Amino acid sequence: MKIRYLKFYFLTFGIIALLISSCSKNESLESDPFVVAFESLSKNLSEIEDIENIVLSYSETALENGTVTIDINTQNAEYGLDFLTIPEAINNSITLDITSGQLENAIVFKKLTNTLDETTEIDFTITTLNYTDSSIQGNSNFLINASASLGGSINAEVGGPNQGNQVFVDLSSQSTVFVQRDSWDLGFYNGDEFRVTINGSIYMATKALTETNIDAVTAADVSSLQSQVAVGTFNPSNAAYVDAPNGNILETAIAEISENNDENTVYLLNLGFEIGTDTPTVGSVDIADNPRGWKKIRILRDGNDYILQYANIEDTNHEEITISKNPDYNLNHFSFNTNSLVDVEPKKQKWDLCFTVFTNILTGAGSYGFSDFVIHNRKGDALAYQVSTSDFVYSDFALSNINQSNFSENQTTIGSSWRDVFNGVANSDRFYILKDPNGNIYKLKFLALTNSDGIRGYPEFEYKLLQ
Amino acid sequence: MVLNKKYFATYFILFLSISLFSQEKYSALIDTTKVERIEDVIITGQYNQQSVKKSVFEVKVINRKEIEQRAANNLADLLNQTLNINITPNTSTGKSSVSLFGLDAQYFKILIDNVPVINEEGVGNNVDLTLINLDDVKQIEIVEGAMGVQYGANAVSGVINIITKKSSSQKTQLKFYIQEETVGSEFELFDKGRHIQSLKIGHNFTDAIFGNVAYTRNDFGGFWDNSQGEVYDTNDGLRGHQWLPKEQHNAKLFLNYKNERFNLFYKFDYFNEQIDKYNPLVDLNENPATTTSDPLALDEIYTNNRFIHHLNSNGFLSKKINYNISVSYQEQNKDLETYTYRIREDQKSNRQKGEYLSRTALFSRGTFSNLISTNSFSLQAGYELTNERGFGSPLAITISSDENSVKQRLDNYDLFASSEINISDRFSLRPGARISFTNLFDNQHVLSLSSKYIFKNDVELRTVIGSANRTPNYDELYTYFVDVNHDVQGNPNLSPEEGLSAFVHLKKQYVLANEKATLKSKISGSYINVNDRIELIVVEQSPLAFQYNNIDVYKSFGIYSDNSFQYNRFKLQLGVSLLGVSKILDSSINSKDDFLYNFQLNSNINYLVQKWNTSLSLYFKHVGKQHQFVERTNVDGNQEYQKGTTEAYKWLDATIKKSFLNKKIETTFGIRNLLNVSSVGTTAFSGGTHTAAPRDIQLAYGRSYFLKLAYNLNL
Repeated sequence: MKIRYLKFYFLTFGIIALLISSCSKNESLESDPFVVAFESLSKNLSEIEDIENIVLSYSETALENGTVTIDINTQNAEYGLDFLTIPEAINNSITLDITSGQLENAIVFKKLTNTLDETTEIDFTITTLNYTDSSIQGNSNFLINASASLGGSINAEVGGPNQGNQVFVDLSSQSTVFVQRDSWDLGFYNGDEFRVTINGSIYMATKALTETNIDAVTAADVSSLQSQVAVGTFNPSNAAYVDAPNGNILETAIAEISENNDENTVYLLNLGFEIGTDTPTVGSVDIADNPRGWKKIRILRDGNDYILQYANIEDTNHEEITISKNPDYNLNHFSFNTNSLVDVEPKKQKWDLCFTVFTNILTGAGSYGFSDFVIHNRKGDALAYQVSTSDFVYSDFALSNINQSNFSENQTTIGSSWRDVFNGVANSDRFYILKDPNGNIYKLKFLALTNSDGIRGYPEFEYKLLQ
Repeated sequence: MVLNKKYFATYFILFLSISLFSQEKYSALIDTTKVERIEDVIITGQYNQQSVKKSVFEVKVINRKEIEQRAANNLADLLNQTLNINITPNTSTGKSSVSLFGLDAQYFKILIDNVPVINEEGVGNNVDLTLINLDDVKQIEIVEGAMGVQYGANAVSGVINIITKKSSSQKTQLKFYIQEETVGSEFELFDKGRHIQSLKIGHNFTDAIFGNVAYTRNDFGGFWDNSQGEVYDTNDGLRGHQWLPKEQHNAKLFLNYKNERFNLFYKFDYFNEQIDKYNPLVDLNENPATTTSDPLALDEIYTNNRFIHHLNSNGFLSKKINYNISVSYQEQNKDLETYTYRIREDQKSNRQKGEYLSRTALFSRGTFSNLISTNSFSLQAGYELTNERGFGSPLAITISSDENSVKQRLDNYDLFASSEINISDRFSLRPGARISFTNLFDNQHVLSLSSKYIFKNDVELRTVIGSANRTPNYDELYTYFVDVNHDVQGNPNLSPEEGLSAFVHLKKQYVLANEKATLKSKISGSYINVNDRIELIVVEQSPLAFQYNNIDVYKSFGIYSDNSFQYNRFKLQLGVSLLGVSKILDSSINSKDDFLYNFQLNSNINYLVQKWNTSLSLYFKHVGKQHQFVERTNVDGNQEYQKGTTEAYKWLDATIKKSFLNKKIETTFGIRNLLNVSSVGTTAFSGGTHTAAPRDIQLAYGRSYFLKLAYNLNL
């Protein structure tokens, strides 16, 4: 072999070896079709005052103009007499524009009479979709009826990574109400028992002292207790200083208020923490800011009323307020910020779930603060249980699959089990069954713990009525 | 197409046969190689560069030949076969961490031409070995044991000094090479495998001025295994890579001026690396109303930029006194870009880019040798200064969320002196001391005493006793993780850990078979002790609080032997080592401080077929079972220290190197990890509060093949 050839051989050898041993493929993935669907499945007629916006959402921002046709079928209601829509229906059919750049559109439903009753049902059905590469699927039907909400999805506004809000969810009306977590301190039970809860969402803790005279308690008396009467000390015995996570009103940190005043001792009250204000790194939370300080309290009974005595630790006199029971609500909430009762929970029949920061108990470690927690309305008689997707598929789960004996009172049944905080996702291997205070049974599936940029405090779930 | 082993076998045979055919005519052109009996000349720790034999320290040398023979592109490629060095790649950060005598990279220093190399987490220590390119390296010198007097803080278990080439015998020298490597069995032109290209040009402008420029690109496609890469929209954990892919660029410039009295050089090194981290978690982003999904992933890109400037002058101040002064400014910035990736649409949104970790250092070191010099006494004095600035973002270091970053200034001003006392021709002593003034800690004092004794039968005995301290890292100083449930804090009042080591080496060289064969034998003993080890401990039980404190003790004893035999063109090296490590954990109750032993063996065989101008090599290393005490809950539910074990593993590499046309063309073909090791089982880790203990560690990606083609042009 001559040198020239050899050179040639080696220069080309590598190149050829490379070329024949590799091939680059152009990967791309197929997108889902364009879909227009009703945002939720139904609306109760009695909850509509005059006008209801029926929202149709798109699977993605529209890239072109198009139209969607929706047919209306009615029972015991007449178009033009009992109700109207914008855009107007022609031959019981509405044509709605899809405009490029938009993410949704809506039909305005106008109620014309109040005589419509439980027998009324107005059904909206998507029949044609005029858009490139589109499909009719998902919520293609919407009902206006007399039933509890048939389903939809809910974003709970817990307030991002500081999770500043407690969000109360009512599935049957597909509505949410929220309050700032630190807007209340004590909850006075409105049921038969005389019980008082503390606000676990700001990590409060409390311990009974032996003294019964609130004015006699001094800072020196409690200073040795203060490092221990707290959440998250990793001392298992601190579980005694917080309300039982299961929500049983008989297991509050503060003992039953006795008719006998001598048995009602003063309590040292750790007011927990202010709501966090920092912006944590993506995926983390900043729940707690500065400590809110301490109070001493003593609670007495006056007939069917509560008397709350309260003061700062070093004070030698105290304030007093009488709190009467209101059976429409689970609890009456008192705030040391305003020194008055404040509105927190909706009426006890009007909420099923609460998204909140929560004081839980870990075996062997005592109280431990949790973010992204979900409790159900135990005091309003809601019940829940968890289903594994290895036993049932969410979409197939029907009323007949319910196992009544699985229902649990424990308000932490959903708890933190729905989310995986290390990966920042909702667990997709489980869903939940919830019976609301009115006996409606729903299935719930959590969809998100974060927003699409990975920021915590943007939970979302979907739900469907089982019937 | 993934290249499978069958194809490789074909290539291999093809390559071999061509190599053999082509040889007959050109063998005449090749220099005859004699048995090498010339000792390596070393620099590390020496007053003047001198032969290994004359050195009071024991210095291990890895020369250019071995680097070439193994086609090692970076330091991680090279050192995994070295005795007492363990390299563990971190598959999720792309870095390679290393331990020497059981102590991690915080305890030893990597220097380039006597100057510590910057890293985003240290100056000299904590170096990621994959960032040290070897293309312009002449040799690598490894000194075992504490070298605090010579090289300052963090040189506890040793130093690795990389000596670069500074001259050329040719007027103009050009070297170009490409190296194609499989990653396990994976190979593709762009996305898979490892692709290296390099170009180097050296030129002697005049007799006095030499210059060199070099550029290397190293494109590592990552290890995919079952993973599916970036464009994959199923949430089954298969998105991304098993080992992160990365692309490195390295450009170097070297200029040297010399005359009779002094030598002046300037070196510049720019390094850029990009690591793509595609999140295995896919957010399906389902729309329950439309039952469609639009999968998203939160992806990350890490970019490293490193600049090194090094100006050195050395020469004579007077007839006897010589000086060597280096000034170096170095900078390494690691940036992190995060974004939300809409997988199906190939769209990036919410791009956030910021500094992740960074460090800058101004370093200067000067030594003045032979300040006093007689036949039996010689004094060296020197200074070293390091002005270091570090930055850590909350993404890299756990700090309070109301802090934007950790910034630290660490200034060291050190003075050191040592002397070489030649008591007789056979016996030399070398005492040394250093004092270090620093803004963060108390003044640090370190001492050393080395000796060399040559027995009448030419057995060389060396003892090296030295001390060195380890500076606390940012996690230890600045961690702040305090919320309602946790209280874990760094400790700004920490002191440096105090290391002390003693090494004894016995060495003898035999010349056999009418000077055709040589046998070098060495047996060594090591002792390393680190006091005031920093550990995270419980400082309060209720409320539970943790803080870093100087509390633990680390001890290791080792005995090892290194032997090499050469007969004509056949070389055999064999090393064995037994290292016992004891950790006294005053930080935990019930801890055990029994010595745990690790056995290692390495061997390589090299044969030069002169007729074919081909050298064949085999490299083998066996790492025995490694043990560690881990805290676990026993059957009774109590915490207990149990002995955990990482299984033994073996590395075997084979290479064949052949040159053509008077070394104009050099080809190297090799198989790395012939025994196809990937991960080994381990019980040596305890799980965290929120994580399970890993059951195995990924050490490699299985058997892989490489082919390197180099073209040398001398004008």
